Amino acid sequence: MDDLELGELWKQYNQKIERANILNLQSWVLQLQTFEYLQTEKARSRLNALSRWKKWMIALGLLWVLFLVFLVAGSLAWSKIFFVVSVAAILGFNIYAVLVYIYHTVLIAAIDNSESLMEVQEKTARLKTSTLQATRILFLQTPFYATFFWSFQWIRESPVSFWLITFPIALLLTVGAVWLYRNIHPGNSDKKWFKLLFSGKEWTSVIRAMDYLKEIEEYKKNNI
Amino acid sequence: MPAASNDPDFLGLILENKGIILKICHLYCPDRQAREDLTQEIIYQLWRSGKSYNREHRFSTWMYRVALNVAISFYRGGRKQIHALPLLSFHLEIEDDPDEGEVYKERALWLQACIKELKEFDRALILLYFEEKSYKEISEVLGISETNVATRISRIKERLRQCILNHQK
Repeated sequence: MDDLELGELWKQYNQKIERANILNLQSWVLQLQTFEYLQTEKARSRLNALSRWKKWMIALGLLWVLFLVFLVAGSLAWSKIFFVVSVAAILGFNIYAVLVYIYHTVLIAAIDNSESLMEVQEKTARLKTSTLQATRILFLQTPFYATFFWSFQWIRESPVSFWLITFPIALLLTVGAVWLYRNIHPGNSDKKWFKLLFSGKEWTSVIRAMDYLKEIEEYKKNNI
Repeated sequence: MPAASNDPDFLGLILENKGIILKICHLYCPDRQAREDLTQEIIYQLWRSGKSYNREHRFSTWMYRVALNVAISFYRGGRKQIHALPLLSFHLEIEDDPDEGEVYKERALWLQACIKELKEFDRALILLYFEEKSYKEISEVLGISETNVATRISRIKERLRQCILNHQK
């Protein structure tokens, strides 16, 4: 079978498709008010997906940030230095994560379908995987949950329990958090620990988007 | 000059090129209901992206870009983000293929089946090739190099040939 025959088959297929009419397309397209209605409806339905989830995260994040600000403001004293520093650090990471989510909702609205397939599909997939970006940053706050209750008095009075138990735990959490921060990225998506960590339903679309990103990269390089 | 989406000429252009939408919907959607939903979504997205259309460029190329992006996202998302509108007066209706079940164009149907076995980007690529778009246009729509387009087209054609031959056996 040569190219001409393939082309001929396509023409036959084409005729078949073109005979399948869109029955009310003309009136549908020419009703401008339909588009206005669609715009509202689709804006609502898009919120159902990624954007709405991110907006919920932003709302929750802001509430959490406000609570932390309240905690820090109410504890400004030298005697509570470990508490203030720990909560302030947690606050910092959460503000950063909220800003990342706000930035992403802006990007979602800015996706332009008239760009090339690779650009649009890559941007969309990157947005989905960006949840990972916020997650890995939030992991960095973990050690501070093990330091907020420290005090100079406790270190002085119970040095053994502090240096042998509490401090090593915080150190271990720091090492773990930094390791996760450095290793949570699409390149490790096939690792066992990664799959275990992100095995929930909510991560399915993120994992799929990561595989899709790899596929797009390979396609651009002409490897698949 | 950018086109205004609510300009009747712009909507007329969409209407004139409805064949593009129909072909894409057939290649990416297995059933009629999904095709109607996708058709509606493509037209909406064309209207929404109207501002980005520059009249100095070919309308059909721009339309392919928007429609294929919407179709691929629809296909990959398992259509969960798109819901047909509840009001019947606004709902698009597409009739079934008039010769569905007929065998006289069997080979053309095999071609359709074989194209549907391809990955979504390859499907877009071969559609543009069969629609006689130049390698340059195809590379612009897909966002890959012309060399990549050329290599892929010959590979896909070979796959299609093999696939059709397998159906014939």
